[in-house]
Amino acid sequence: MNFELIRPYTAILIVPTGIGAEIGGYAGDALPVASCVSQVCDRLITHPNVLNGASLYWNLPNTFYVEGYGLDKFAAGCWGLRPVHQNRIGLLLDQGIEPELRLRHLQAADAARATLGLSLTDYVITDAPLEVELRKAQSGASWGTIGNPDSLLRAAEVLINKAGAQAIAVVARFPDNIDEEADQNYRHGKGVDAIAGAEAVISHLIVRTFQIPCAHSPALSPVPIDPDLSPRSAAEELGYTFLPCVLVGLSRAPQFIVGETHQLPQPTDIWANQVDAVIVPATACGGSTLLSLNKRRCQIITVLENKTQMQVPPEPLGIKCIQVNSYLEAVGVLVAHKAGINPSALSSKISSLQRRD
Amino acid sequence: MTTHFITAEIDLQETDSELQKAIETELQKEGEPLRWAITSVDVEQQSCTVEAVVTVS
Repeated sequence: MNFELIRPYTAILIVPTGIGAEIGGYAGDALPVASCVSQVCDRLITHPNVLNGASLYWNLPNTFYVEGYGLDKFAAGCWGLRPVHQNRIGLLLDQGIEPELRLRHLQAADAARATLGLSLTDYVITDAPLEVELRKAQSGASWGTIGNPDSLLRAAEVLINKAGAQAIAVVARFPDNIDEEADQNYRHGKGVDAIAGAEAVISHLIVRTFQIPCAHSPALSPVPIDPDLSPRSAAEELGYTFLPCVLVGLSRAPQFIVGETHQLPQPTDIWANQVDAVIVPATACGGSTLLSLNKRRCQIITVLENKTQMQVPPEPLGIKCIQVNSYLEAVGVLVAHKAGINPSALSSKISSLQRRD
Repeated sequence: MTTHFITAEIDLQETDSELQKAIETELQKEGEPLRWAITSVDVEQQSCTVEAVVTVS
């Protein structure tokens, strides 16, 4: 048998950003899930919120780091993904970052060049402070807006057109005066990441405008040590920046193939009709990516154990899925699906076929 | 360009394609949708709440 002719099994793992997911709502704490899922599929597509653990990251060779706006476009069939061996990353720094904190980020970037061998262009500082504002919505999700989006886009344009960047790492100064109770909860592994929603808005703006891989790392003042820090949040308190994971993720992030491109197709390109399965928390089925994939021949797996602040189960939206309790079960469903085995055949009771008129 | 956070109530539709279209049409009344998600569903009222950030040029 020629194994090259077998369709590669492709899965997407989604843990939406800023909705208080009990697994994956903190400091890259869905990364162990991604590692396991990547072992049982040929290609895994996931997003920065899953893979970013500040100073911690893990190289998953068959895993593609795709920012949320790009993931929505990919799932809708508008954009494809083109794997690369390497991207030259442009570092975009908010003018609102104080000089010492800026230097910490530049040194983190230099460390990634020297110790990991990543390629970076010269960096750019925005021509105005970005002025990030945080917001908590009625649903409990974190959102945010930025005061100077045009300044962000002008800086990205310089990186792409003058410095030759193929991916953009943004570092924006986030307010230190986050709601104290929410911040404490987050550090103790409870509640919602207060800054995650605003981070997504920043990266979405760049991906929408330039169709280029992008991810965001916040610049924040160091916080006092907390003896009760949750293991799920601890990765964000190892250093002065959250930048290393972003640089590692972007260094191999697939490029986007945009509909009207005149580039020739390549055999490694990935399109939405090649996705076999998608895994999401069972209460967070209201995203564009999932609604798009529900139209396709794609097995949707919802995970009950990963509770979130959302109240959007699959049934009222007409989403057809297999519901499981845990990610361990989800991995089992993927294995069965990949093998062409109906998962119900592995349980003790199988009902008889019924006649349909 | 400015960025704005908005919420909208949308009636559930027959299909998910129609629902996506209805959401985007509603959001476009306020600007260009950048990021959105359905954050709750009211089965009795057959409607859902959408939270979003839109941009206005």
